[in-house]
Amino acid sequence: MAEKPIQGEKRVFMTGNEVVAWAALAAKAEIMYGYPITPQNEIMHYWTRLAPKFGKRFLQTEDELSAGFTTLGGVLAGRKAFTATAGPGNTLMQEPMSMAEMMRIPSVVIIQQRGGPSTATVIYSQQEVTMTTYGGNGEGLRVVYSTANHQELFDYTIKAFNTAWKYRFPTFVLGDGYQAKMRESLTIYDPEEKGLEFVPTETFLGKAPVNGVKQPVHLRNTYNTEEELYEVITRYMEEYLKVAPEIIEHREFSCEDADIVVVSHGVVSRAAKVAVQELREEGLKIGYFRPVTLRPFPAEELKKVAARAKTLLLVESAFGQMAKLVKDAIFGSTVALENLFKPGVGITSEEIVVRVKEIEKGALAK
Amino acid sequence: MFGVVPVSERIVEAYIGEYASGKSEIAVNRAVDLKKEGRYVTLVDLDLVEPFYTLRPIKRQLTETGIYVVAWETSETMGLGEAGSLIKPEMRWVLRRPGDIILDIGYGVEGAKVLNLIEGAADNKNLQVFVVLNIGRPMTDNVKDIVEYVKELGIVHGLINNSHLGDDTSVDFVQQGAKVITEAALVLGLPVIATYIDRKFEFEINSKMDIKGNPIRLLDRYMTNTFW
Amino acid sequence: MTMIPQMPKSWRLESKPHKFCPGCGHGLVLKALGEAIDELGIQDKVVFGADIGCSLLAWDFFNVDTVQTHHGRTTPVVTGVKRANPDVICIAYMGDGGGYAIGSQHLVNAAARNERITAILVNNCNYAMTGGQMAPTTLPGMKTETTPYGRDVRESGYPTQGPEMVAAITREGSYVARGTVANLKQLKGFLKKALQNQMDGNGFSFVEALSTCPTNWRTNAKDTWAFVEKEMTKFFNVGELKNPAAKEGE
Repeated sequence: MAEKPIQGEKRVFMTGNEVVAWAALAAKAEIMYGYPITPQNEIMHYWTRLAPKFGKRFLQTEDELSAGFTTLGGVLAGRKAFTATAGPGNTLMQEPMSMAEMMRIPSVVIIQQRGGPSTATVIYSQQEVTMTTYGGNGEGLRVVYSTANHQELFDYTIKAFNTAWKYRFPTFVLGDGYQAKMRESLTIYDPEEKGLEFVPTETFLGKAPVNGVKQPVHLRNTYNTEEELYEVITRYMEEYLKVAPEIIEHREFSCEDADIVVVSHGVVSRAAKVAVQELREEGLKIGYFRPVTLRPFPAEELKKVAARAKTLLLVESAFGQMAKLVKDAIFGSTVALENLFKPGVGITSEEIVVRVKEIEKGALAK
Repeated sequence: MFGVVPVSERIVEAYIGEYASGKSEIAVNRAVDLKKEGRYVTLVDLDLVEPFYTLRPIKRQLTETGIYVVAWETSETMGLGEAGSLIKPEMRWVLRRPGDIILDIGYGVEGAKVLNLIEGAADNKNLQVFVVLNIGRPMTDNVKDIVEYVKELGIVHGLINNSHLGDDTSVDFVQQGAKVITEAALVLGLPVIATYIDRKFEFEINSKMDIKGNPIRLLDRYMTNTFW
Repeated sequence: MTMIPQMPKSWRLESKPHKFCPGCGHGLVLKALGEAIDELGIQDKVVFGADIGCSLLAWDFFNVDTVQTHHGRTTPVVTGVKRANPDVICIAYMGDGGGYAIGSQHLVNAAARNERITAILVNNCNYAMTGGQMAPTTLPGMKTETTPYGRDVRESGYPTQGPEMVAAITREGSYVARGTVANLKQLKGFLKKALQNQMDGNGFSFVEALSTCPTNWRTNAKDTWAFVEKEMTKFFNVGELKNPAAKEGE
């Protein structure tokens, strides 16, 4: 049995699902709970192959409700536990994740978006944004990272564990079916050798007695009065807003003098990047803005961009799920909003270029 | 049919290997190369986990070159929400077809056992099973792991070096793969059939053999037009 | 002279040849079911629910009203139909995951409430459609994509014995049996009795059918039959477990 799954760093060629399995190993995750659903099955296939070699554990549960709740159990036991799902499985995952929100359980879940709603397609979409950011019956006190390539899938899966255990909000890595199955090269590495410190876990349930004395804990997610609940939620929200600036991440370029800023996330941002670079080469004043954390959303950063631009072009493989987050973030702004919505379908850089030029033409006509 | 060789002389090859090792790309290139030699070739998509996402999107392109491709048609996939493990009946009987047969075997824990699903594979005298290896894949990046992996696969006749890092590939990396895989081949008592390298490196490598003397075959990228 | 294939009348011609893998047991189970529907003359009254997985491929199989549901939710959807309209003959068709994993709570509760529906579960020891992961019915030692080293019973228990579980829960009026595609005549008999039990308004009817999956088992024809006839029967007994009609001296 090898000591560490990854020693030093090396350049490899993998599919996205595999990257997640290796990243979890690199992050020293100890146990995965899961249930089969396309397109994330290979995360389990690789975890179960690698697990015995590195002393890791696995449980295939009876469904996603169980996968979510067993993951919470694993986390409460003080272990780095995680699960992964997609589509209808993500819908089921909202119940356990509501509990995680209420009880501040540092769970890590990887979502590989597929077409929706219902069974739809097993392939790809960005239609689980609303659900992953605000699903469940709460206020969406969660952290959601939207990755765009395999290097990020690796980096952010590792980061997800640290974010979850440091801030104690359920943390998600939001990928999609294309990222899950695409093949790309990336550098995998041992995080500790790179100077990354792992946030230690805490045991909530089953803690050993200290000096022969056991202090039992009583964890609850119910409250008796409205006032009690109000106090708890308000306190959580204040904390969330306070740490949000530490968690928020985004990328932007060419926005200072841009007329139109293309706003996109996840794998679509790759096409957006190419499109914006091309348009700039043609002399058009176009900018690029990409939220990396969808929750908490980089609102201040986008407000600044919106203040200078004439139009924001919102591009996503959904019908306005990211757009809703944008509108909420920039409320009060007078910037014009245009869309390129293609639910369940990939978006190419050519399509974005065409759409931008359409908007430019329309603007000139005025 | 033009180019059909006698049964005893036909080439029947099955390409197996790790998930994303490059089996499909190699199988397609092999079929195209044989076709260019004037042979009658059938290419079979036996990916049972992602059957609609490997050869299907490029089926038309390949068929136009004269290769007979056994893979699902897009129109046949209508109404199938969960696109998973589905073997087309034509695939079971593919060895009854004349001429050369190239089989692209998808991934799975059971390795070469997929060949059990092909009628006559067990007794076929021409059938050669080749393992496609890429040292860029962490589970097959060193001699020990490769030997262990190949041993689990069942009957295998040769190894193929397809070491690459996608767009980050370099000639050095391919040669490094040749070294590792050739050493593993020695331990396993198997030949290294060839080293595949992207055609764009043809002038840089400037040789018909890799650093260990294995034959080099040039690779054209077809799979970039497919889903993943 | 045109040869008319020997297909059950309740089968839908336009969706044939069907999409199940060659050697798949679903085609056989659905043939037995089609004949049962024909012989009972209930084609116009049947509502057929398909689950997610390979059973999904039966969604346009019959000339009866069919509904696709979610994974494991065929039983409740079909229960909902029956409760709202007791005149229809409701069939919940699912695989081992849809019945014994994600759908188990629904199966157990439908059985406990003695819902007057007929649930048919096709057992092939793996989650075939998604690429061959472990199922509740995977045999000990069997290699699947999530048990790459073989199913370890200490880790994940023994294969689920569904009909036995259902028989233990249900009271009078329920029909429970396990058939096999290796004996289609017997399986058809069980399916007919299961449907008749619903038509008579007695109670919950459940038939598990041992089935083949050469694609994921990676077996040739000979080994496929050996597996369903000799290996699977070591863990799953074929036969009737509960038959209300028998009690009446039939």
